[in-house]
Amino acid sequence: MARMFREIHVLWKRNLVKLFRVPMLLFFSLFQPLLFLILFSQVFGSMAKLPGFGYDNYLQFLVPTIVGLTALNSAFQSGMGMVNDIDSGLLDKFLIAPIRRSSILLGKVAADATRMALQSVLIIAVSYLMGARFKTGIPGVLAMILIAVLFGIAWAGISNVVALRTRNSELTMLIGILITFPILFLSTGFMPAVLLPDWLDTVAKFNPISYLVAALRALVNDGWDWTAMWQALAVTAGLAVVTLTAATRAFRKMVG
Amino acid sequence: MPILEVQELVKIYPGGVKAVDGVGFAVEEGEIFGFLGPNGAGKTTTIRICVTLLAPTSGRVVVDGVDVVRQPEEARHRIGYAAQSVGVDDDLTARENLVLQGRLHGLSKGDAHSKASELLEVIDLLDEGDRRVGTFSGGMRKRLDLAQALVHHPRLLFLDEPTTGLDPQNRRALWNYLRALNDSGVTIFLTTQYLEEADVLCGRLAIIDRGLIKVEGAPDTLKAGLGGDVVTVTLPGDAADELVSKARRVLGEVPGCTEVTIADTSLSLVLKDGATRLAGLVRALDAAGVPVVRLELAEPTLDDVFLRHTGERLRVDEVRPPSRMAHGRRRP
Repeated sequence: MARMFREIHVLWKRNLVKLFRVPMLLFFSLFQPLLFLILFSQVFGSMAKLPGFGYDNYLQFLVPTIVGLTALNSAFQSGMGMVNDIDSGLLDKFLIAPIRRSSILLGKVAADATRMALQSVLIIAVSYLMGARFKTGIPGVLAMILIAVLFGIAWAGISNVVALRTRNSELTMLIGILITFPILFLSTGFMPAVLLPDWLDTVAKFNPISYLVAALRALVNDGWDWTAMWQALAVTAGLAVVTLTAATRAFRKMVG
Repeated sequence: MPILEVQELVKIYPGGVKAVDGVGFAVEEGEIFGFLGPNGAGKTTTIRICVTLLAPTSGRVVVDGVDVVRQPEEARHRIGYAAQSVGVDDDLTARENLVLQGRLHGLSKGDAHSKASELLEVIDLLDEGDRRVGTFSGGMRKRLDLAQALVHHPRLLFLDEPTTGLDPQNRRALWNYLRALNDSGVTIFLTTQYLEEADVLCGRLAIIDRGLIKVEGAPDTLKAGLGGDVVTVTLPGDAADELVSKARRVLGEVPGCTEVTIADTSLSLVLKDGATRLAGLVRALDAAGVPVVRLELAEPTLDDVFLRHTGERLRVDEVRPPSRMAHGRRRP
């Protein structure tokens, strides 16, 4: 057990050091959520005046979506690191070290999770400066980050499956974007369900991102909505089982 | 007991490509043993099976008494491996790369750091140790990669084409380093497509082609096994096919001459006691009216050994060692 933690810790640290050595990458994955946060809160600001919108202003409504988006952004880039490690021969180095193969994956998951958490903190700080307020206070913010990170890890599984199957970094990025953005916009992330057209409302109901956003939104605006939180965690768990199993399988297949 | 024993190794990739077709050999402790062969001969596949990165279709690999398929983790403690493509992290410093490998091999933080410093000194990168590897030259990366394979004092080191892509100067430096390493007690198994490398570095080698070991032995023994010196006769560039065939016939009848092969208008052959029989060969060609523009007598190289056992030359961008002209020199 202690050995496993040491292995994961060593690889976690390596992945994080790498991340901070290339600040451009960190900047670019934060740039888009920040842009969305600033632009959308201005452009769609007057939407809050629509009857049935249900929130005081669009910023309050938008912040949880952007926190989710931040996690998703890191998630769909996760596989690129995997492709890099395969291409640079480092994965082979890890594979011939006398460590558990699962430690390699867990070290990666831990680093991804750390990255998502740090980026979420930053987004939340910026939105606080913009005037967003959090109903459930600091415990609620922590719960938000936890839920977003767990969802992000599940989502990162998709990226890693693509990475391990294609071993192509551009393709991994592209497929990540192509899967993430349509699904994000087909959720209740930018528009409450009541204002969505019927067909979209139906799609959104089957969209895992809607459940993530609902739980985060409740924490920001309404309080501890346990039902929404459990639903989000259940959806995350279901998603994680599918994506992480597929990723583990792809990994096993690749390493023979 | 050999430190590495490979028996009846077969690897068929999905899709049916047979990369390794029944390879077997043994490496004794303290040796530098080499696999010499062209690209696609099965060298990398064999080495990847040995280092537990690839599962064989059938056959057995035993490292220091440990079966690598049944007990991969036990085997991993005993071996070091540097792949043909360097496995270093560009975003980390040289020292961080070494510490990372040390930690992954179970060293404590303190031990990993002191081992890293020690190895940086050995590979002559102490001054550059805290620079990011992304700024390193090819030779520096190769040295670092090699040092990475040594953090845990492996008894057996696997090197897949350790000098491919290096310039001659770096290649020589690496040879010296490998020799010193070998002197310190590390057994080395390496693959190469460079004749000179196999010749100067390996105590024993196996020539591998199309997944099969063709011949195995010490370089000098293999060369002596050809049974003579190598003579190359070059006809004028515009020589007709009939003239080449005629030359071949004439050469075939010279006493002590075997294995005449033709490349364009150049014929090479093995001549027993070459220096003493060369004059007779020249006279025979002259009598038959075969014009000769160039005549060489040389001690056999591993390429000649390769040619005999595979029917082809091992063509790599490498110049033949300077050959000695007709007055010749006897094999030592």
